[in-house]
Amino acid sequence: MLWYKSWLETRSRFLISLLVAVALCSLVVYHGDQDAIPNTTLAYYYNVLQGGHVLLCMMWVMSVTLLTMGGLLREKAVGTAPFTLALPVSRTRLMAVRISVVLGEAMALVIVPWAAMFLIGSLTGKTHSIQQAFFHMALLAGGGMVFFGTALLTSSLVEGEYTAPVVTFGAVLGISVVLSSSSLHVYSPMEFIAGAEYLDRHTRLLTGPIPWMRVAVSILISALLVAISAKAVQARDF
Amino acid sequence: MTSEPVVETNGLGKSYGRISAVRDLNLTVGPGRITAFLGLNGAGKSTTIRMLLGMIRPTEGSGTVLGRRIDDPAGSLEFRRRVAYVSEDKRLYGYMTVEQIIRFTSSFYPDWRADVVRTLLKQYDLPPDRKIRSLSKGMRTKLALLLALARRPQLLILDEPSEGLDPVGIEDLLQSLVAQCAEGTAVFFSSHQIAEVERVADQVCILHQGRLVLDASLDDLRLSYRQIDMVFPSLPAELQSQLQLEGVESIRTSGHQMSVFASRNADAIMERARDLHAGSIEAAPVGLREIFLQKVKEN
Amino acid sequence: MFFKLKPSAGQPLYLQLMQQIQHAIENGALQDGDQLPGIRTLAEELLVSPNTVAKAYSELEHAGVLDLRHGSGAFISVSRRARLLADRVRAAEMRVRNLIEELREAGLLDDEIRRLFEARLAGQSETVRIS
Repeated sequence: MLWYKSWLETRSRFLISLLVAVALCSLVVYHGDQDAIPNTTLAYYYNVLQGGHVLLCMMWVMSVTLLTMGGLLREKAVGTAPFTLALPVSRTRLMAVRISVVLGEAMALVIVPWAAMFLIGSLTGKTHSIQQAFFHMALLAGGGMVFFGTALLTSSLVEGEYTAPVVTFGAVLGISVVLSSSSLHVYSPMEFIAGAEYLDRHTRLLTGPIPWMRVAVSILISALLVAISAKAVQARDF
Repeated sequence: MTSEPVVETNGLGKSYGRISAVRDLNLTVGPGRITAFLGLNGAGKSTTIRMLLGMIRPTEGSGTVLGRRIDDPAGSLEFRRRVAYVSEDKRLYGYMTVEQIIRFTSSFYPDWRADVVRTLLKQYDLPPDRKIRSLSKGMRTKLALLLALARRPQLLILDEPSEGLDPVGIEDLLQSLVAQCAEGTAVFFSSHQIAEVERVADQVCILHQGRLVLDASLDDLRLSYRQIDMVFPSLPAELQSQLQLEGVESIRTSGHQMSVFASRNADAIMERARDLHAGSIEAAPVGLREIFLQKVKEN
Repeated sequence: MFFKLKPSAGQPLYLQLMQQIQHAIENGALQDGDQLPGIRTLAEELLVSPNTVAKAYSELEHAGVLDLRHGSGAFISVSRRARLLADRVRAAEMRVRNLIEELREAGLLDDEIRRLFEARLAGQSETVRIS
C-alpha cells in the first residue's frame, strides 16, 4: 500500500506533466513540418524532432523535480510525518518505494512523449528512424538521472512544503550557467541529455554510437546521490 | 498478562546542542493501565514520545517498548506493529479520503478489526467518502483515533488527544480509552487537561523542563497528599522549621494561619502541630491540579 | 444504580465506589442477588479506568458482598454478617442524626458541625470496613 500512497501523492503532478509533454511534443512534430522548405526533407524532419526533444528535456527536468518533491521532510512540513513514521515500515523502505514510483513516472515521461512523436511522424508519412528515437531516449533517461538524484538530495536535506523544488531549480540553473562556458560545456548534463554533442548540424541526426559509458557514469552519480539522501533521512530527527 | 512494563526508559535524554529537551528520564508504563503524562507546553512530552517511537534519536540513556530497544531499528519496526500512536499533529494525508486511509493503514496490521472501524465510523460520525483535507480538526482527531484503535494495539500512545475536541468529543475519546484499556491495552497519553486525567488515569507522570518530577498512582496521591491548615496563637520564626517533617513540600503563612502542603505523612504533621499547640487543624485532600501546580512551581 | 465519584476527593476512586455500593446495600437500593454492570460497562459509564472498577469489585468480593461469576457478571450477595453490619450502620445513622439535632439546638451551624466532624475524622487515615 505504500505504492498506492506514493502514486496518490504524485498522481496529479504526473498526469498533468505527461499530458502537457505529449501535447507539446505532438504539436511540434505535427505543425513544425508544415512550414518546412522541402529541400532536405529528412534533415528538416529531424530538426523538428530535435526541437521536440529539447523541449521535452526542459519539461522533463521540471516535471521530475516536481515529482521528486515529497518524502519525509515535506511530510514533516505538512504535518503527516509522525503518522507515516509510526507505521511498521523502515525509513529505507518508505524511500525506496517513493523512488521507484517517481523513477517509473520519469521513464514514462521519456517514453510516452517520444512514442507520440514517433507515432505522429509515421502516421503523417514522415521519414523516421527507431534508432534515432532510441538514441534520444537513452540520452534523456540516462543523463536525466543526475537531475533526479539532485532533486532527491535536496528533498532529503531541506525542509518546507515547496522549498525543495525551488532549491533544485536554483541548483540546476546554477549548474547550467557554470557549465555553459565553452571549456566546460561537455560536462553539462543539460547539454548531454539534449544531445548537443552528438548532433550533426547538417543532417540534424544524432551520430555515432550511443555513449553508454557516459550514461553509466550519470547513473552512477545519481546512485551516489540517492545513497547520500538515504543516509541523510536515516540520521534525521522528526 | 505479564507484569513486565510496556515502556521503560533508563536515563533517557535528548539535547540539541546545549539545550536539553529531556534529561535523565526514568519512566515506566505498566501493562493494562492508563498512564497519563502531564506537563506544560514544551516540557518535553512530545520529544519523549517521539524518542520511544524511533522518530528522534536519544542523545543519552536507553529505553524499551514492549521489551524491544527503541534505538534498534529492527526492534522498533517489530514493536511498531503492536503500538498505536496518535500524534499531537493530527493532520493526515489530505489527498486521501477517509475510506482510502483506512484501507491504506489496515494493510500494515494483520490484526486489523473491521468491526471496530464500522462501529467507530458510526459513533464518530465520519463520512467515508470525504477527503481528509476537508475534515475539521475534531474529525481528523477522531479519524486518527479510529486508525489507532482498529489495529488492536498492545500499547496505545496518544499525544494531547483531546486538543481540538469539543466536550462531547472528549467524552467519546475518554470512553474509547477506557474501552481499549478494558481489552487489556496499556494506554499512555500526554495531556495538560488535568480534569480528564484525574478521572480516567491509574498512574500519573509529571514532566517539567525535561525532568520527571512525579510518578505515582492516583490512588496513592489521593491518599497521601493533604493540605493542612492550622491556626496558631502566635507564629514564632522557629515554628516553620519545627514543622519541616518528612513529606512537607511547602509551608505558607498568613497572619496566625499556616498552611502546609504535604505529599505524605499528614498524620505525623498534624500530630506535631497539636504538640505545638495549634488552635485548629484541618486537613483537606488535594486535587491533582494543586499537585501539578505545586510540582511545576517548585521546580 | 447511580454512582457519583469525585476525582478530587481525598480517597481513591475504587474506595468511593466500594463505599457507594456498600451504602446502597445498607439502605436497600441493592439487594441480595442484584446484578451490577460489567467492569467495562461501568467503567465506560463512569469514565474511570477499568482497573478502578475491577479493584472495587474484587475487594467487595473479598469482603463477601459481591459474587463475581466469570463471564456472567457481578451479583450482590448479602451474607448474614453483612446484614448485621447493615443493621449496625442503620443504628449509627440514627445516633448521628440525633447528635446533629442536638448540636443544632445548641446553636451550631451545619457548616460548623461538618467541619468538626471532618477535622475529627481527617486525623485518622481513611479505612474501609471490609467485613
